Amino acid sequence: MVTTPAISVDALLKRYPRVTALDGISLDIPTGCIYGLVGPNGAGKSTLIKCLVGALRPTGGSIRVLSIDPTEDRWRLRRRIGYMPQEIALYDDLTVRQNVRFFGSAHMRHGLDDAVDRVLAFVALTDRADAAIHTLSGGMRQRVSLAAALVHPLDVAILDEPTSGVDPELRRAFWDGFRRLRDGGATVIVSTHQMSEVVECDRVAILDHGRIVVEETPADLIARGARRVRIRRRDGTVEEVPVGDYRQELPGILGVDVEAIELVQEPLEDVVLRLIGGSR
Amino acid sequence: MSAPDAVAKTGAIAGRVLRQIRGNRRFSVAMLVIPIAILFLLKVVFDALGVPAPAQRRFAVLGVAYLIHFVAFLLTALVVVGERVQGTLGRIFIAGYRRGEIVAGYLVSYTVFATIQGIVVLAVAYGLFDLGYDAGELAQIFVVVWLLAVFMMALGILVSSTARNEVQVIPFVPAILVPALFLSGMVVDVDRLPIWAQVLARFTPLYYAVEVFGGFFSAGSIVSDVGSFLLLPALALVVFGLATATLREER
Repeated sequence: MVTTPAISVDALLKRYPRVTALDGISLDIPTGCIYGLVGPNGAGKSTLIKCLVGALRPTGGSIRVLSIDPTEDRWRLRRRIGYMPQEIALYDDLTVRQNVRFFGSAHMRHGLDDAVDRVLAFVALTDRADAAIHTLSGGMRQRVSLAAALVHPLDVAILDEPTSGVDPELRRAFWDGFRRLRDGGATVIVSTHQMSEVVECDRVAILDHGRIVVEETPADLIARGARRVRIRRRDGTVEEVPVGDYRQELPGILGVDVEAIELVQEPLEDVVLRLIGGSR
Repeated sequence: MSAPDAVAKTGAIAGRVLRQIRGNRRFSVAMLVIPIAILFLLKVVFDALGVPAPAQRRFAVLGVAYLIHFVAFLLTALVVVGERVQGTLGRIFIAGYRRGEIVAGYLVSYTVFATIQGIVVLAVAYGLFDLGYDAGELAQIFVVVWLLAVFMMALGILVSSTARNEVQVIPFVPAILVPALFLSGMVVDVDRLPIWAQVLARFTPLYYAVEVFGGFFSAGSIVSDVGSFLLLPALALVVFGLATATLREER
């Protein structure tokens, strides 16, 4: 059975007079997964996201989100997506509840109060519902911003760096939330510049300079990392042997006095940076 | 799930803006106190100059119109530019609010604000300058001031599309303030100005209000000349259309 991907991008190009922000992006995002757009600042993640939600008109290529062309029919599309921008775009003078309710009002009339209560519980802000935004910490504002994106029923959530500036505990809660969203049938697109978050995704695209460097599962990405066996001798000398060779090498080496043999995995961040470096 | 229609979404925008105004007490009070203080100053200066009472009354009415039209312009221009800078304007577009709903929502909410402001400031002017108009006449004055305020809000939103931040609104302030004073017919009859200035006068919204007030002062009715009376809402509608058409989604 062939299922239509939630998002399909083909040879997407976005050029400005002086820079090419997106330089031929092609990807398919399967329905019902958490998809990570990973890359350094300026890689083109936000530009790609703004093209997906129809806020930017591409210079070339094609996009289908839920089989809808965002450049042609963005209003029909926007009824089915939730979008969280990178900047905390909320109304400072209003309370948490008023903000979330206002964004929900664009999508629904009946059951809005219940939906607001549900999403505030989801981001653990029920007890701060009546606090004005300007009285909240940065992490709390980030949570309100996420709630404003997810208050209505949606098929695709497009979240631009939702975890930036969020402390580790809250970040874990966010990812738990994204998984619940996915398990409820939604497709979740998350951009991040933190390589450590790659493992939280079902699939990732690594972007750099407006191009996709790699597009695969985190497990495949990790497998690209070089693995070596590190041998530390009692005399203090250390030797590393690539995993591929260790069956041949070890017997010879083990003839010497060995204290420990460890498998060393290249950190994911190094793998990604190496891949980006190789693309330049 | 029933999707909200354009009216409901316009209402949501207007309700949100009004809640913001209400949540910002210092701002609301300043918007009422400052025009009243300026009227008071005007009264003091007129008395010192020995301006006769009928001329004072005429200027008081025009002064109220001038103050409210200026505040309406500046307020909407700054607020909409501020929304653009904060990113909320871009976000509400993507949330599904459309241009017409956003512009109309702003107009509705600030019209509510301008209505309250107009009533308060006009009431103060009535007492301060001993206007002595009856209820019907006051209602007519109010209608003109009100229409002018709506006109200026639409103009404020239109101008906001040309500015990337609040500072870029500043050049427009004297561009509106000064011609409104000199070319609207408030201080000098427009017919006595050179042709080029008469042409320029047609681009100052206050000119149309002064025209209507002219009929009111001479004939006692704002619709003594239906043509010039209808021009005010008609032009407001045109500017509203332009403001809607030019409200950009992306920065």
